[in-house]
Amino acid sequence: MTTGSFLYPMLEDGESDPAALLADLARSAEAKAVQSAQLRSTTLADRAPELSRVAAAMASAISAGGRLFTFGNGGSATDAAGLAALFSSPTVGRAVPARSLVADTAVLTALANDVGIEVVFARQLMAHARAGDIAVGLSTSGGSANVLRAFAEGRRRGMLTVGLAGYSGGAMATCPDLDYCLAVDGQSVHRTQEAQSALAYALWELVQDLLGKLTRLDSEENR
Amino acid sequence: MTVAAAPDLDPATGFPAGLAEDLAAASLLLARRLHAGGTLWCASPAWPHHAQHVAVEFVHPVIVGKPALAAVALAAHQLTPTARANMSPGDVLVAIGPADDLGVLDLVRRAPAWGVAALWVGAGVRPAAGSADHVLWLPDDEMAAHDGRFILLYHLLWELAHVCLEHRGVLEPEPDCNGPVCITCSDEGRLAEVVSVAGPTAEVRIDGVLEQADLALVGEVRVHDLLVVHAGMAITRLDATTGRDRR
Repeated sequence: MTTGSFLYPMLEDGESDPAALLADLARSAEAKAVQSAQLRSTTLADRAPELSRVAAAMASAISAGGRLFTFGNGGSATDAAGLAALFSSPTVGRAVPARSLVADTAVLTALANDVGIEVVFARQLMAHARAGDIAVGLSTSGGSANVLRAFAEGRRRGMLTVGLAGYSGGAMATCPDLDYCLAVDGQSVHRTQEAQSALAYALWELVQDLLGKLTRLDSEENR
Repeated sequence: MTVAAAPDLDPATGFPAGLAEDLAAASLLLARRLHAGGTLWCASPAWPHHAQHVAVEFVHPVIVGKPALAAVALAAHQLTPTARANMSPGDVLVAIGPADDLGVLDLVRRAPAWGVAALWVGAGVRPAAGSADHVLWLPDDEMAAHDGRFILLYHLLWELAHVCLEHRGVLEPEPDCNGPVCITCSDEGRLAEVVSVAGPTAEVRIDGVLEQADLALVGEVRVHDLLVVHAGMAITRLDATTGRDRR
């Protein structure tokens, strides 16, 4: 018996024939794609009520002039940047003031070097955030210290605070500084990140839909 | 909504026919080149965060015990000059963007001259056949860039490349002459990028190697122009974006 790969236990260690390995890899990729699609689908279904509440809170904050700040570490930093870009420069729909707190390497390295990595997002919120703004933090583990610090700072400043987490929420699930926590119940980091991205996109779609309705209501009232 | 499949997609995977095989082949190519000392360069003018996500997966794996691999995200600013200055023969480019992304088109067009293998990840209208060594494509809509489906594609690239790296027997370099006809030795023209021009000849880069090319048939060329060179003679000048003959 061979032990197989940790990632792909169905594959045998001793394989040295490229054609046989390629066939195994393709089947493994399909199996992982099925798991990804299932987790994205069940996450969206399970979190639908919470998603609607978060979208309503965000749309009303945005309508009142609130701005979106996103943050996270590593892969979650890139997903935070993607979420901010989706809100601020969508190919369809309304552009909303949104930016990620991971974009400026001068600010990030200055804070990390002079104070510590745990303050890199909280200190930026101190400089920029106003009551009515929105903080969206992503952490696959749910436990990133600098993301939790930013939620605390956001709460102090009267921001709407939203967490996107894996592992059923981790520390975010019980974080007192969060208004909402959208959690994925995945046990693999990769499948979890994919489902988090599906949640973030669904959130953007819902917010766009609500902003459209709010705008129509406004124009009817002003008539 | 997000995972709803178009009719030509497999309903369970969300993949079009052949994508799993493309991913497997791309992963083996990537693993072989990383094993031989190559670097993975990631570029996405449209969605720079995707390029950074790919790079961080390889450099700092989420699974403890997996080796850190050489991957870099290129900034969108001055993309082609930065890539040209930094990429070495044997490296791999993963470009992420739609089929009409001029920044990606310029990179994948030049990659063969630099000796760099190109993987192109995207969604929507598919690029022309042969645009890159492997095209990893979701045909339905560009929203795949936002809803987790792109992330799945490059997560699988990482996962499968690591499986290949664990199977030492398959990591021997790609054979140069693996069929009845070898491109290098055959009668075929090869893509060249002009490095410098000296009167009737140019120094060009072909598959990462500097060679001399006679310019008599193509007339005036400039540094960084793309040519097709056959037996030391430049026979065609190409448009870097379309790849079409522009004489």
